[in-house]
Amino acid sequence: MASFKDWALQYVLSDNESAQRVIVEKAAKGKQIESSRANSTVLGNWAASVHQWLSTASAKDEDLVDDGEEGDDGSGDIIARAKALGFLAGTLEELDQSTLKTDQVRFLVGFFGSMFSYDHKAGITAAAKALRQLYSMKNFKPDMGVKMVDDVCKIKEDFRLQTASTRFEIYELFLSLLQDESVNSELQHKYGSSQGFVVDLLQICQAERDPKNLMVWFKILAGILANYSPSTEVTEEIFKAFSVYFPISVRASAAPTGITAEDLKGAVRSCFSAHQRLAPIAFPFLIQKLDQGDAITVAVKVDILRTIKACIDSYDHPQTSIVPYIEKIWNSLKYEVRNGEVKETIDATLDVLRAVAQKLDGTKTTKLDPSMLKNYFDLVFKDCRDDLSNPTYTKQAGLLLVTVITANVRAFVLESATLIDCIRQNLRQPKSSTHTRDLILLLNSLLKARQELITNRTQGHPEDEQQLRSESRAHLDSLFHDVYLPIWVDKASEPDSETVDVLRKVIQGLALLVRQQVLGSDGEASLLCSRAVCSEICSLLTQSLIKGLALSSNDNATTDTALEDEAVLAFRTVVMRYTDGYAEFATRAAAEIRKRDWGTPSGYSLNALRDLLSRLAFIGCSEIPVRIATDRPPQTPFSPLQHFITLTATLLGLFPLSSPPGSARFASSSKEPLANCYIISALHGGMLHFCDACGSKYTQEVLVTYSGSETNWIEEFNSLPEDWLQQLRQGGRVPKDRTLCSVAEDDPEVYRQFLRLSLFIVRNLYRAASAGTQVPWSERVLAQVSSIAALVVRAIDEKLQVSCGLAAAAFSFFQPTEAWDKEKDPVQLKELLTVGILEGLWPGAMVDLYQPGGLAEGFMCDTAHLGPIPSRLSEIRAAIGAILANKHKGGPSTSDPQSETIKRVLDFWGNQMKIATTSNDIDTTTFGELNKISMYILAGATARQDKNVLGLVPVLHAAIRSQHQNGEIIAQSLGILVKDNDLLSTENHAVVKRFYKQWAYNYLAKPLYELALPTKTEAWQAARYSTAVLSVVSNCPFKVYEDDLEPLIRLLITTLNNRFNLSRQVSLVHRVSALETLVEILMNEPDSIKGHLKAIISGAVNVHQDASQEREEKFKDLVKGAPRNNDLHLVMCRRLVLQLLGGIPTKFEERHLLPYTLQMKRMLATASGDPVREVRKTALLARETWAKIAV
Amino acid sequence: MSREIQNENPTILNVSQLPSRRQGKATPRNGPDSKYDNILFSKHWPWGVSKTSSFWPSDEEDDGEGDDEYAEEPIDEQEIFDLISTISDPEHPHTLGQLSVVRLADIHITPFPTERLDPQSLRTVLVELTPTINHCSLATVIGLAVRVRLERVLPPSYRVDVRMKDGSHAQDDQVNKQLADKERVAAALENDTLKGMIDTMLKTCVY
Repeated sequence: MASFKDWALQYVLSDNESAQRVIVEKAAKGKQIESSRANSTVLGNWAASVHQWLSTASAKDEDLVDDGEEGDDGSGDIIARAKALGFLAGTLEELDQSTLKTDQVRFLVGFFGSMFSYDHKAGITAAAKALRQLYSMKNFKPDMGVKMVDDVCKIKEDFRLQTASTRFEIYELFLSLLQDESVNSELQHKYGSSQGFVVDLLQICQAERDPKNLMVWFKILAGILANYSPSTEVTEEIFKAFSVYFPISVRASAAPTGITAEDLKGAVRSCFSAHQRLAPIAFPFLIQKLDQGDAITVAVKVDILRTIKACIDSYDHPQTSIVPYIEKIWNSLKYEVRNGEVKETIDATLDVLRAVAQKLDGTKTTKLDPSMLKNYFDLVFKDCRDDLSNPTYTKQAGLLLVTVITANVRAFVLESATLIDCIRQNLRQPKSSTHTRDLILLLNSLLKARQELITNRTQGHPEDEQQLRSESRAHLDSLFHDVYLPIWVDKASEPDSETVDVLRKVIQGLALLVRQQVLGSDGEASLLCSRAVCSEICSLLTQSLIKGLALSSNDNATTDTALEDEAVLAFRTVVMRYTDGYAEFATRAAAEIRKRDWGTPSGYSLNALRDLLSRLAFIGCSEIPVRIATDRPPQTPFSPLQHFITLTATLLGLFPLSSPPGSARFASSSKEPLANCYIISALHGGMLHFCDACGSKYTQEVLVTYSGSETNWIEEFNSLPEDWLQQLRQGGRVPKDRTLCSVAEDDPEVYRQFLRLSLFIVRNLYRAASAGTQVPWSERVLAQVSSIAALVVRAIDEKLQVSCGLAAAAFSFFQPTEAWDKEKDPVQLKELLTVGILEGLWPGAMVDLYQPGGLAEGFMCDTAHLGPIPSRLSEIRAAIGAILANKHKGGPSTSDPQSETIKRVLDFWGNQMKIATTSNDIDTTTFGELNKISMYILAGATARQDKNVLGLVPVLHAAIRSQHQNGEIIAQSLGILVKDNDLLSTENHAVVKRFYKQWAYNYLAKPLYELALPTKTEAWQAARYSTAVLSVVSNCPFKVYEDDLEPLIRLLITTLNNRFNLSRQVSLVHRVSALETLVEILMNEPDSIKGHLKAIISGAVNVHQDASQEREEKFKDLVKGAPRNNDLHLVMCRRLVLQLLGGIPTKFEERHLLPYTLQMKRMLATASGDPVREVRKTALLARETWAKIAV
Repeated sequence: MSREIQNENPTILNVSQLPSRRQGKATPRNGPDSKYDNILFSKHWPWGVSKTSSFWPSDEEDDGEGDDEYAEEPIDEQEIFDLISTISDPEHPHTLGQLSVVRLADIHITPFPTERLDPQSLRTVLVELTPTINHCSLATVIGLAVRVRLERVLPPSYRVDVRMKDGSHAQDDQVNKQLADKERVAAALENDTLKGMIDTMLKTCVY
């Protein structure tokens, strides 16, 4: 068995830390010290094992003293000695904490402690480590702690010569000793209040500069201040020790310690705020630092202010620790706000002032003497009172006052009357408009803060609520008539830009005033304003909102709507509490609208109508009313839905505003009565706002999981009178709808009832629109109604959609009779209505439609009744087809009757394509329309990745390559299948598979790459294929085709460089697709086109030339008076070419571009004279990128 | 470049006060109630298959805003103004437009932009500058910058003529002569200091 001596030797010779660890582990555990239960002999051997290094040390040291030189051997000895002691310390680290006996611990404490007296060079690191270990031993006694402190302090000046990590060990040792309560009391006992050891500590530790050590050092100091009670002299010494570091900062170091300046600031701050006994030194010190004025930076200022705040927050006994310094603090700080410009300092200052007020009020559990708070406020008020009448300082003075007064309930209740009185006096003699504005702003912030105090009243001391209950309200009651109204009357007549500012503040103030609640003696909250005052406020706001309609365009030239917008927000706040106000407003607005003739309105009137109605909807529906007591009960009983009912009843009462006599229905060419559209828009807007309000109030999850029962609302509606809404609005006359009246405002049932009402409205609109008797149902109105239906239906859950039979209603329009007969009623724009409901349905609610020969099949296979061509009807039909083909849920197998339906539909259209491309039965115009429908149906099925689509792929490919002109139409429109489509959005419950585009691309476009090159097939066939491929690719995201870049780029280059045998329009679209794709590739994977630059540039230039030339020719035609064709694609061609060319220099190195630079510069210079401005802009951008390349 | 600032307090216009193409068009609603305007007052009908059919047929205000982007509009004075008003002044942190050195009324295009011509035929753009003070020694530099900017962005069929407005500068004859002399302009651009200065001035031009 190796002896301790061997181990010690091995340890000393080893340079490897892990090897050293193994050795000490062996020494501690390996059947040695631990196993012998710390037998004295074993321990003696262990201690003696390092004797040889220690004895030489003492001899050498003496020599050194003699000749004052240190040779190589000497430093070698020191290292060896340090290592030897390290061996002992390391063994202690590995030793079980209960192994050593008390006397052994004591002995070791003495041994290692002595190192601090004798061996400053080699012993300290190991000794510090060992002492920390010994401190954690089970048999450690408090008096040993005292001895440790004493011993360590003996190191004196040599402490600073130790390495940072050694010092860190010692700091940690101190920290653990001082935090130990038993050591703590032993120290108190030994040193008493003079705390002599602290003085020693301060002496050895001063001038520490290492951030990591400083963190511990500050912790030690804060601990001493908080846990010991040092005498004043010692306290002052301690204060000196940490305050010399203030304000602290850190230099960027090459070896970052992970300690930030903020950490250090926090640590110093905790020293300042450690105990109130520091107050007499800390406050004067900090204020003196602050008063250095411009000499300090913002960061330092903020640090000082935060430190003051920390002191105020944590000092106990404010009577003695804070009150004596308040005046000093205030006098120094007020200028930071009064004359300050930097937001950070102002905020930090206000935080301090607020903290003082809060401290003087007491805590949540104990309140302090109110006189202190009062004196503080008096001090502040005395200085700010004069500033309130000085426009330069009003804002700042207001800020100071509001901060102090709103810090707590007590301050507010005590002093708000004085302050409001002062504001009122100043408002009587304002110096300027801005002065008025600032004063109103101050008043508004007081009101706002008061409301917050009321809302949070239960969180503070119970006394707070009592104070609020007994608050005097005379000064608040008169605010409207004494302050806000006179200013409004004074300024509203001729608003200029300055008074608009004041008026906006007044409006904000009115809203805040109505929000104010007062507490009764029983603690119940009610509105401060009486109903009469609320009503007056409402009529002021109404006035400013209907003004636009009442004035003529000449009188109301301003386009600035800031005042109205403010009024809208204020009005909403008002009517959410004073609920009768909304009905008054709605009635006034409706009356004002009816006064006018809407037969041939001017553009101005129409805009005024649109604004008024849109605001009416927003004010009533963008929040949910709050139930709160008022001085008298409201005229209509409270319901969270009452504003929504009022709005819808009013709007439906106004509809239609104009019905031009004799105009044919749906005469889409004649001027549409926009006034009617705006009414429906407002209805739609109201619903959208209410949905949002529910979403934010009840959270979206409640609404989603809120599943309905088996009720059938539609059937319920049948038993309701047609004017149910009007009756609900007036209330009283009909037996009340129980659910509507009893629902509380925070119950998610509100949302459900809102949907029910909305569905009722949709049903009535649908019935009226499809009854075919009224004139106002223009196309635009129908589309809007349809959007409303989509919104409402979408929000209803699947079960309820089924039980209400909404799928059938999409075709019957809620009429009691069966689905309408198209043969009899050719007015097919009504199909617009169908789209709306279908858009919102869940696939599960539509199952019945897919019965063989059912409605879905009928609609999807209907090619008749398209009417005159081109017609919008085919687009509506296409939309319906897309939804029906998409929302098919599908049965368990592909052979069930329902899946057969889809298959039959697709086969039908496949057949149509066959006929259209093989015979001359269908001309191109008609086929163009039919093709839209078929492509949309296919798109719907493709998004669902319906397998039946695959069956159609060969048919499509055959149709594309057929010689018939119709094949071209199919090729060009193939991209519709993968194009982004609003109808197929998951928001509308459409079935969209994640990778359907990839799927479609693989089957539709990928197989055609080879065939699309003119070398492989006949030129015209290749052209068709190429058109089809690019139509698909340009509608896919880059990721979909990134694996096929090589054949694709070949195809793109061919497209740009050749003139295909395609019709003009198709060939243009083809080139646009090619350019779009190229731009996309250039942005995503430029390397793939590096080798083709020459061909691409020359191709792009060709296309640009062609497009410009074509435009020139058209221009000549135009002079001759030829009709202007749509040359959108020509412009797009030119623009895309420039975009592509402009993008090239940003992606490639100069050497690849040099050959083309001159040519490009010339071409782009010419292109920057393009007749279209947007194209010119693109050309300039391109010119700029090429200009950077030196020729 | 250290030199004394020649005009310490020029009059500065706000960006919103500068003439722009937007003026005269209806401003979009932006009140709190306008959140859903794009849905409620959409100019397009919701289910359009092709772009061309997607406008309401009967909308009287429908001035083809969607087509606006691709409408043919010749290069006019406003466009020239937009191109050069964003050039920075060499001594103030403002643009030439804000300092009224460049004014819309002092830009002339001959023949009138509305006259349709063969794209190859020549047009002349005359820009008259008004220095903020009449002894401004930087007038030549400003004129040079305007010239360089326009030559960089206009198509080759445009001739550029930059001069000081009559009476706006104490030595306008000399300055005009310098600006009109091609060789002197070319020589000036060989001077690295001058070129650097002009590049800094043009940095604020967006396109």
